[in-house]
Amino acid sequence: MIESGFDRRDFLKVLGWGGTAVALSGCGNTSVQDGKETVVSYVEASDYMIPGVSVRFNSTCTQCEAGCSINGRVREGRVLKLEGNPDSDINRGKMCGLGQAGVQHHYNPDRLKEPMLLNGDQSQSVSWEAALKLINDKLQGVSGDQIAFLTGTVSGHVKALLGNFMESVGSKHHFAYEALSSAVLRAANKKSYGVEMPRYSLDKAKVVVSFGADFLGAWVSPVHFSQQYSRFRKGVDGQRGVLVQIESKMTLTGANADRWLAIRPGTEGVLALGLINALGAAGLSLPAEVAAEVKAYDKARVSKETGVAVGHIDKLVALLRTRTPSLVLAGNGPDGFAQGSENVAAINLLNQVLGNVGKTVEAPVSAPFAQLQATNGDSASLYKLNEGMARGQYKVLFACGTNPVFSAPASLKVAENIKRVGFKVAFAHYLDETAQQADLVLPLDSSLEDWGTHIVAYQPGEAHIGIQQPLMEKLHANTRGAGDILLALLKSRRAEEYKAFEDYYAYLRAAVLQNKAALGGGALDDEGFWEQTLSKGLIRVAGSSAALSTSTVVAAVPVATAENPDYPLTLIPGITPNLRDGRYANQPWLQESPDPLTTIVWDSWVEIHPKKAAELGIAEGDIVEVISRTGSIKAQAYLFPGIHPEAVSVPLGRGQNWGRYAKGFGVNPFQILDPVFDKQTGELALNDTRVKIKKSGKRVIVIKDEGAAGGKQMGKKIAVRASTDEVDLSKEV
Amino acid sequence: MSVTNLLENWSQFRHFHPVDDKPHDPYKWAMSIDLDACTGCNACSVACYAENNIPVVGKERFSHGQQMHWIRIERYWDEDQNAVGGRDFPDQGAQFLPMMCQQCEAAPCETVCPVAATNHTSDGLNSQVYNRCIGSRYCSANCPFKVRYFNWYDYPSDDAWPAEMSQQLNPDVTVRGKGVMEKCTFCIQRVNEAKVKAKSEGRLVRDGEIQTACQQVCPTSAISFGNLVDTESRVHKQWEAQKVELDKDKQEKDEQEGGSKLRGYRILEELRPYPSVMYLERVRESAV
Repeated sequence: MIESGFDRRDFLKVLGWGGTAVALSGCGNTSVQDGKETVVSYVEASDYMIPGVSVRFNSTCTQCEAGCSINGRVREGRVLKLEGNPDSDINRGKMCGLGQAGVQHHYNPDRLKEPMLLNGDQSQSVSWEAALKLINDKLQGVSGDQIAFLTGTVSGHVKALLGNFMESVGSKHHFAYEALSSAVLRAANKKSYGVEMPRYSLDKAKVVVSFGADFLGAWVSPVHFSQQYSRFRKGVDGQRGVLVQIESKMTLTGANADRWLAIRPGTEGVLALGLINALGAAGLSLPAEVAAEVKAYDKARVSKETGVAVGHIDKLVALLRTRTPSLVLAGNGPDGFAQGSENVAAINLLNQVLGNVGKTVEAPVSAPFAQLQATNGDSASLYKLNEGMARGQYKVLFACGTNPVFSAPASLKVAENIKRVGFKVAFAHYLDETAQQADLVLPLDSSLEDWGTHIVAYQPGEAHIGIQQPLMEKLHANTRGAGDILLALLKSRRAEEYKAFEDYYAYLRAAVLQNKAALGGGALDDEGFWEQTLSKGLIRVAGSSAALSTSTVVAAVPVATAENPDYPLTLIPGITPNLRDGRYANQPWLQESPDPLTTIVWDSWVEIHPKKAAELGIAEGDIVEVISRTGSIKAQAYLFPGIHPEAVSVPLGRGQNWGRYAKGFGVNPFQILDPVFDKQTGELALNDTRVKIKKSGKRVIVIKDEGAAGGKQMGKKIAVRASTDEVDLSKEV
Repeated sequence: MSVTNLLENWSQFRHFHPVDDKPHDPYKWAMSIDLDACTGCNACSVACYAENNIPVVGKERFSHGQQMHWIRIERYWDEDQNAVGGRDFPDQGAQFLPMMCQQCEAAPCETVCPVAATNHTSDGLNSQVYNRCIGSRYCSANCPFKVRYFNWYDYPSDDAWPAEMSQQLNPDVTVRGKGVMEKCTFCIQRVNEAKVKAKSEGRLVRDGEIQTACQQVCPTSAISFGNLVDTESRVHKQWEAQKVELDKDKQEKDEQEGGSKLRGYRILEELRPYPSVMYLERVRESAV
């Protein structure tokens, strides 16, 4: 350590434990520091691998940000199926369809296999040595301000290496971009509760009122919330939890509500303040300043603005008064408008006045390792990068695991601006829209071949670090993990500090063992602790808990975007549980898995309310053009009762120009979104695009799973429903 | 099988379990699915593709109704949805129903198979013998649940699993060729593995030892699977609590419509296929 010429603090930073709040053990181990240790891959055949008998390994799912712990079944060196790891507080042995399809990402025939130089339509394979040399050459003589690194949400030791790499080139321009983020929610939560993401406990609530939070489908940590939901439905003493969902476009969660209320797009905050006012009138004691502020939101006005009937408001108020505690959630509906932050603040205020904070909205637990904690992606960061690219600020751009050319509105001209960057490097699994713009494409390992650590932003139980380990040998000899690439780049800058680590695996192992005591392995020797860590697939850590504040600051909600007779409808891009922002579209199980609500497969569609459709003379299968101020797309119409008549919805995630299972299937609504931003956070207001609809005159047969009867049971008792007074849940098994 | 033979010996062909000469012992596999827990998320269906080597057929073939999903999620709207005078919005949500082979005790598919490729196992499953099937598709025509899927193409040689994708195939499950019928097996490969293990240890399969792929993945644990003969099994207890009996076509719930406080029912029971899957009704709050 000392011989190598950098001090202990630097060493901690190298290994990702910088800024840590937990005391680390002394640097007692030697083999790792010497770098003499022989690295043996965990996937090399061992005695316990018997032909015909499966072996299971725990790892971490990277298909979405929830970070479920997975258990992979491996036979004869091939990973066959992913199941959930029962020891994880996040998913407790369960998974979603998206996670299941992780194996199709791994075995995908369209994966990139060699580093490539791109020049227009020309591509040329190069060796890794040449590729890394090229990067180093391009970094020569470029100042830190001219280098940008674009990723998605990133955490763990890859983030630490990334931070260290950026420091080594003197750049502060790391941008974490997610097209679908909860940035508005996090910012508003910070103001309402003092923390960005409290823990939500559905299973402790008797009533859940969700404003567009699709917690069963695509919101935050759906597998975890689905399990909570299951307990919430069973309830305490046979009193079943009640779910009320308020949104403009029905989500999977909305389809499971006891009461689904269609609301005029963007007026969720108005309804929330109206509910507070009505609760006050019904006897709930409100802080004086709150009562004064919400007085203007009387039922008649609220009903008129939101389109929610007074009768429903009354019933909801009565329910919230009699059944406590409750839980109010704000999701991807209300936060997607120019007034998104105010909407969410008003909804959060409902939790405050109902006394839910501390009961069903609980203090979060976070892992104490600052350098490894998640940097949450948002869309505002892309727009900052985009402005810099437009100005010609950047000479070198790295992009890893993110596809802004596909997922940013066309009006922002990301594809054009990216061309102004002198040298673009894409770390990619596929030659996607963004990789196509790069000068150098570096093929990544699949998540089932790579090492990693993950600290997810939403920790539902004890804080834990998810361990990602290869479930099998690499399929392609010439792919590398992002950690390995960053390590190689760091080695050419800070050889002294990183020479001990032959590869990312060695680095990760050294890092984990370095902090063994704080990670709960004090009693074990290095080998024992490392094996235990890999076998468990996660490390529980003593988390730190932040206190929640109970501020009741009221902010009036600005009125929704004014009516525009030229563009009479609001476009609500659908976030489907399977396809989300589209990075998974080339996984065929997900293309063929019917959308839960429309049952449509392999294509995009335009959801339109049957009444609106009748008004416009549109029938199912009519190809309609959805026209916004900034572009238009054409797709088949689907008459969908679960949408407000003033809105239409087109699902996100299709319309790629690459991949045998994605190219040519559907359209990309990201492209036509208006550049409207949430005023407080600068996030793209996803639901604030005004459109009009034009029939093209063509009609197709909609390819879907629902039968000819179009979702009717024709009087048969197939899927049967009972009301709560007809059943007795307390006697059930 | 001649028609005369069929008519004369009807009771023999219409043989359903359990009967005195062949009681279910020691196993009768059954399910119970709680529709109040099911959210319609489709995870079960994807898990089934992964476990059972189900081919992705693609857009064109899907449009011909040739999809192969052994378990599908059916989505229903209320009968008065957007009807004249009916409701404008699905204001109590949608109805979801996971539908797979119901492993009927008196399976309508079995009696019509000209080559006895589909028949009943001693542990109460409706089995499909792929290498006996000649592809007449009578069974599918006769299935009231429409859960039998026919291989119109030779998917293994038809690029259903191109390049590395074929490495994902489960070696415990046959990859089916063109011209045979297939359907949900209740993950027979998992059942057999556990049965063999139990037998070698000189015991019976314990409750919870077998999880079907759909049950294993289900985020809300809506699906239970187990041995109906085992009085300690969760499935047995659920069936018992709901007073649903395997060999009846009218249950206590049907006797006192609305007054029984029970949720358990079997689909199309009136056709007397005696399904092995009990569903629990979805519940909706009356106060809101």
